[in-house]
Amino acid sequence: MISLLAAQLLNGLAIGMIYALTAFGLSIIKGLLNVPNFAHGAFYALGAYVCYAAMHAGMPFALALALSFIAPAVVGTVVEKLGVARLMNGPYLYQLLFLFGTALILEQLIIIVWGTVGLSVTPPEWLQGAFDLGFTYLPKYLAFNGLMAALTIAAVWLLIERTRLGSQIRAGIDKREMAQCLGIDVSRLITAGFALGTGLAGLSGGLVVPLLGANSTMGAEMLSIAFVVLVIGGLGSLYGALAAGILVGVIQSVSSVFAPSASTVLIYVAMVATLMIRPQGLFGER
Amino acid sequence: MQRKPSTYLMSAVAAVLALIAPFCMPINIATEIVIFSIFALATYLLISVAGLYSFGQAAFFGVGGYIAGYLYINTDVPLFVGLLLAALGSAVAALVVGMMSIKRIGIYFMMLTFAFNQMIFYLAYSWHSVTGGEDGLGGIRRPDITIPGVGKIDLSNHVNFYVLCAVLFVVVFAGLYQMMRSPLGLVLSAAKQNMRRTDSLGFSVYRAQLLAFVVAGAASGVAGALFAMLYRIMPIDAISWHSSGTAVFMVIIGGMSSIFGPVIGAAIFIWLQGFFSLMWARWPLLFGVFIILVVLFLKGGAIELFDRVRRLVTGARGERSAP
Repeated sequence: MISLLAAQLLNGLAIGMIYALTAFGLSIIKGLLNVPNFAHGAFYALGAYVCYAAMHAGMPFALALALSFIAPAVVGTVVEKLGVARLMNGPYLYQLLFLFGTALILEQLIIIVWGTVGLSVTPPEWLQGAFDLGFTYLPKYLAFNGLMAALTIAAVWLLIERTRLGSQIRAGIDKREMAQCLGIDVSRLITAGFALGTGLAGLSGGLVVPLLGANSTMGAEMLSIAFVVLVIGGLGSLYGALAAGILVGVIQSVSSVFAPSASTVLIYVAMVATLMIRPQGLFGER
Repeated sequence: MQRKPSTYLMSAVAAVLALIAPFCMPINIATEIVIFSIFALATYLLISVAGLYSFGQAAFFGVGGYIAGYLYINTDVPLFVGLLLAALGSAVAALVVGMMSIKRIGIYFMMLTFAFNQMIFYLAYSWHSVTGGEDGLGGIRRPDITIPGVGKIDLSNHVNFYVLCAVLFVVVFAGLYQMMRSPLGLVLSAAKQNMRRTDSLGFSVYRAQLLAFVVAGAASGVAGALFAMLYRIMPIDAISWHSSGTAVFMVIIGGMSSIFGPVIGAAIFIWLQGFFSLMWARWPLLFGVFIILVVLFLKGGAIELFDRVRRLVTGARGERSAP
């Protein structure tokens, strides 16, 4: 029992890192555009299927992962340029519907290309097997998954907190007009931010394929999880997204031992509890 | 300030529309339009009148549908008791969700309504014994209406069922329109323009908005209950976030400047859905393209289109309606 619980805890940590990574992307887009990206789940699924297709075609795993970031980022750039940017000055209801339409199109395109049957790939050979930790086993791929997500989160954090581009992005999030006045090309920044956010969603999708496979409902599931993570963590807080992502992953994973059918509902219980105790979220500002 | 037309006049127009509709199209299509008009009107109250951008209205549509469906399958409740309980159940759900979301404004409110929509979706999804889960809730009966002294009205007759839906549509239409003209409606639209100022004038914006949210929830629940009876099945899709997005779309495509906007929007959506789904099993893709085109090129929806055509016909001097 202890061994099972420990295994689920590790599993939850790794999955939670993925949730945090996806929510990170959603948070960046939400911050820059001030609109929730309802197509985020579709970009996540796109990344997963691109990774599947690349590995199926015999490409090395590293290249497949890179593609699972690049392809959604490119599509994201197009979506931003063609629609979101044009609707920038109107009420955000229109951007929202635009993203809703985008989500419908992407979801259907994925079904047209890859069908509705779940697909799976095996991890590359050097990531098969497990580490023996004494009290439980840790699958190598799971460790890799968590590590990759952690490294990506660290890299994005460095990019945003420590580079010139990052400080411009932060300026754009805080006061768009002021940043514009200072000579920052905010519209290019927003395109870059949107591409980064959708790329991160895609990379998360690519990372989970060897673990959970790819299926046609994965996008909708991740979309709601990413929203719940943002609400629990507090809007606009990157630490919050990280902490809440891990929390949600662990809750879901550990509760699936005791009540498998309730594990999805339980994360919403956690959300409601957070809203009642701390309406602004764990790390959110009032 | 411009005086709004009286509730009697507007409801009479709505009633005439509902009377004409079944002569212009198959009765099932007309029934669907009338049901979705109720749903769209509820969403219109929130989005256009109160400025509460709810992206989770399907949750209340679904709660109403499941309550009515469950009752009509497992008990012998009369029609109106079932409808009333559906409205009550979704009103309570809306009260709880509203209490937790309304104080959060703007984008945060929208994210919360979406998250609660998903919560109710997954509840319905995993509570298989009551909701039928993924398969939906099938075999819903349409109870007869018994009127003392008159006899029974058989609702399995399509025309009778349409009349029921149309009457409820006119009632909801009149109720919501009267609400928009009432002091409550004024507080709501004042708060939409400037929430702090309205609050500091002494009106409780929170209570007004919560009331609107509960009313919209109840109306959505009635629409859901009628929808469950229409095809005698309550599918899980009806409660998904796509359905919430569709509700917002119906409001936008119809045009937000008039209360007839959501009714037009519902008609357009039902026709599009029928048309697209005949063409291709992957019809949501076409629907997505349509949404994007409307959002990019026809922001004012169908009402703006009428306006543009009218101006084209009467020459550029034609007067502009209020945006």
